[in-house]
Amino acid sequence: MSGEPRVRLEGVSHRFGDVAALRDIELDVADGELLTLLGPSGCGKTTLLRIVAGFERPTTGRVLLAGEDVTDRPAHRRATNMVFQRSTLFPHLDVFGNVAFGLRVAGVPRAEQEERVREALRLVSLEGYEHRRSHELSGGQMQRIALARALVNRPQVLLLDEPLAALDLKIRLDMEAELRRVHRETGATFLYVTHDQREAMALSDRIVVMNAGAVEQVGTPAEVYGRPASTFAARFVGDANVLPVDVLDVSGDDVSVSLAERRRQVTCAGARGGPAWLVLRPEAVQVERLAREAGAEALTGIVRDVAFRGTGFQYRIAVDALEAELKAEAPASSPELAVDERVTVNWTPSACWLLPRDDDARAPGGPLATREETPA
Amino acid sequence: MTGPGRSGLAGAFTVAGVLFLWGPLLVVVLFSLHSTAALSFPFRGFSLRWYEEIFSSAEVRSAAENSVIVATVTAATTLLLGTLAAYGLTRTSSRARGPLALLFFLPITLPGLFIGTALLVAFARVEVTLSLATVAAAHLVYVFPFFFLIARAALDRLDPALEEAAADLGAGRWLVFRRVTLPQVWPVLVGAACLAFALSFDEFVITFFVIGPDSTLPMFIWSTLRRTIDPSINAISTLLLLFTLLLFVVTFALTSWSERRRRGSAEPLVVPALKDAP
Repeated sequence: MSGEPRVRLEGVSHRFGDVAALRDIELDVADGELLTLLGPSGCGKTTLLRIVAGFERPTTGRVLLAGEDVTDRPAHRRATNMVFQRSTLFPHLDVFGNVAFGLRVAGVPRAEQEERVREALRLVSLEGYEHRRSHELSGGQMQRIALARALVNRPQVLLLDEPLAALDLKIRLDMEAELRRVHRETGATFLYVTHDQREAMALSDRIVVMNAGAVEQVGTPAEVYGRPASTFAARFVGDANVLPVDVLDVSGDDVSVSLAERRRQVTCAGARGGPAWLVLRPEAVQVERLAREAGAEALTGIVRDVAFRGTGFQYRIAVDALEAELKAEAPASSPELAVDERVTVNWTPSACWLLPRDDDARAPGGPLATREETPA
Repeated sequence: MTGPGRSGLAGAFTVAGVLFLWGPLLVVVLFSLHSTAALSFPFRGFSLRWYEEIFSSAEVRSAAENSVIVATVTAATTLLLGTLAAYGLTRTSSRARGPLALLFFLPITLPGLFIGTALLVAFARVEVTLSLATVAAAHLVYVFPFFFLIARAALDRLDPALEEAAADLGAGRWLVFRRVTLPQVWPVLVGAACLAFALSFDEFVITFFVIGPDSTLPMFIWSTLRRTIDPSINAISTLLLLFTLLLFVVTFALTSWSERRRRGSAEPLVVPALKDAP
C-alpha cells in the first residue's frame, strides 16, 4: 500500500430536495484494499458510491481520486468503473463487445482490445465466452462478465453496487470466493456496497458501517464485530443482544456491571461508570438446564424457541429478570434443550462489549431487538 | 359455457364482419384484373391490361413519383425530428416533460380537414407557394404524433442503467446514444418511419388543401374518378393497397423483432448446459 489514499472523500454531504442523504462523510480508501460500505437500505451507501462514480454531484465536499480532485468531472471522464446490482450487459452486443466497450470508446487498438478482453475473461474464469450473447448467460455469469467489463479498463477504483444481491444464495457464496480471488490476483482497489453483513464480513479488509447518511464505524470485520462503536453497529453486524446495564466499578479492562440487580463481570477497554449497553453475541451466551438450586445471583429463564442450524442450535430464551428474549447459540455437540425447559444463562466476560448509554435512551427498536440475518 | 348453437351464431357474425371489412376491397382487386371495362358483375375473365395501361401512363408515373418523393421526405424528416423529440423527452427530468409530450402527440386527434384548412391559411398568410414541399410539411404535422408515440414508447422501455453503464465505461453523451441507445431501438424507429411513409403515401384530405399544381397518387385517383370510371383506377388502388400493406408488414416485423430481442435480454434464458460453473 502506498501512502496516498486511492479514494478520499472530504466532507461529502448530499441532499435530495429536503432530504439529507449523506452528512459530512470523511473517508479514505487505501490502495489495493477492499472496503465495504455496509448499511440498511436508505442509509446513503449507494448514493456515496454514485458520488465516487460521478453519477451524482455531492451538494458539498470533495472527491479525490489518487490525490486529484474529480468532484466536477462527469462519470465518463473518471477512471472508475462500476459493477451494478442488476445486469447491465448491453443486449445488442456479445460478451466480447461488452467487455471491450470501454476499450473501444477509449480508442485502444483492436489487437490490444482482444488481448485484454481475453485476459479479463480468464480472470473471471469465462475464457472462450467471447461470442456468447447476454441472454445465453446465467445470472452469476452475467455478473462475472460485468466484473470483467469493468476491470478490463484498469480503473483507479472498482465500484461494486450490491453485485450479488440478485443471485441465489449458493451462487452468491461461490461469487464471494470468486471476488476474493479476483481482488487478490489484480491487487485492485475495490469499493463495495452491500446491506448483507455476512457478505461484508466475508469479503472486506475494512467495513464502513453506515446509518442514516452518516458513518457509524470504520474498522476491520473483527473490530466491528468484536468492538462495535454503537448499538446500531452491534445489531447490524452480526446478531447481538443489547442489554441495559449499570457500570459499578472499573479496574483496567475488568468491569463490574449490574444487570437486573445481579452483579456480572465484563472485559472491556475504556469503560466508564454509569449507565451502559451490554453487547452480547449469541455465541457467547451459555445456556444450561436449570440445576435444582439456582443461586439468587443466577439468571434463569425459559426456552421459547429452538432452531437447528447445522453447526449448532439457536435458542430464544425468555429471561425471568429481563423483559425480553435473549438470543443464544450452542454448538451441535451440546445437549439439545426443548421449548419450555427451564434454563440458566451465563456468559464469558471476555466475549462482551460495553457501550455508553444516555440515562433514558432506549436503543432503537427496543433493548433486545436483533437484526434479521439478512435485512431487506 | 358456450354451446354449439351460440358458437355457430358467433361464427356467422364473425364471417359477416370479415366479409363487410374485406368484401369491397376484394371487389376492387378483382375488377382491377377484369378483361373488360365493366365495373360490375358478371365477371368476364382475367387480364392484366389495366395494369399495362397505368404503367404506360406518364400521368400515373409522375403522380407516383411525387407520392414517393413526398412520403420519403416526410418519413426522413419525421425520423430525425421525432427521434430527437422522443429521446429528449424521455431523458430529461424537466417539469415541461409532460406538457411537451402532450403537445407533440395531441395533433393525432386533429381532423385532417382541420389540419388542411389551417395549414392552407397559414401558408397563404406567410406567402408560401403551394408545392410538393408544402405537402411534405403538412404531412409532417400529420404523421409526427404517430411516430413520436411509437418512438417514445420504445425509448421509455430501455433500461436507463444501460446508458449509465456506458457512461461509466467512458462514453460521452453522443457515444452513449450511438453505441447503446440507437442499436437497441433502431428497428422500432425504422419501423415507425415506414408507418410514417405509408401514412403520407396515401394521404388525401390534407394533400388536397395544400398541394399546388402537382399531383400525387391519391390526388390522381380522385381527379380521374371525377371524369371517368374504369378498372385502371382499381389497378392503381390495388397497387396502393399492396404497397401500404407491405409497409405495415415491415413496420410490424421490425417492432416485434425488436421486442423479442429486448425480451430475450430482460429474461435471461438459462440453458442447462451453460449453468453457472464454466
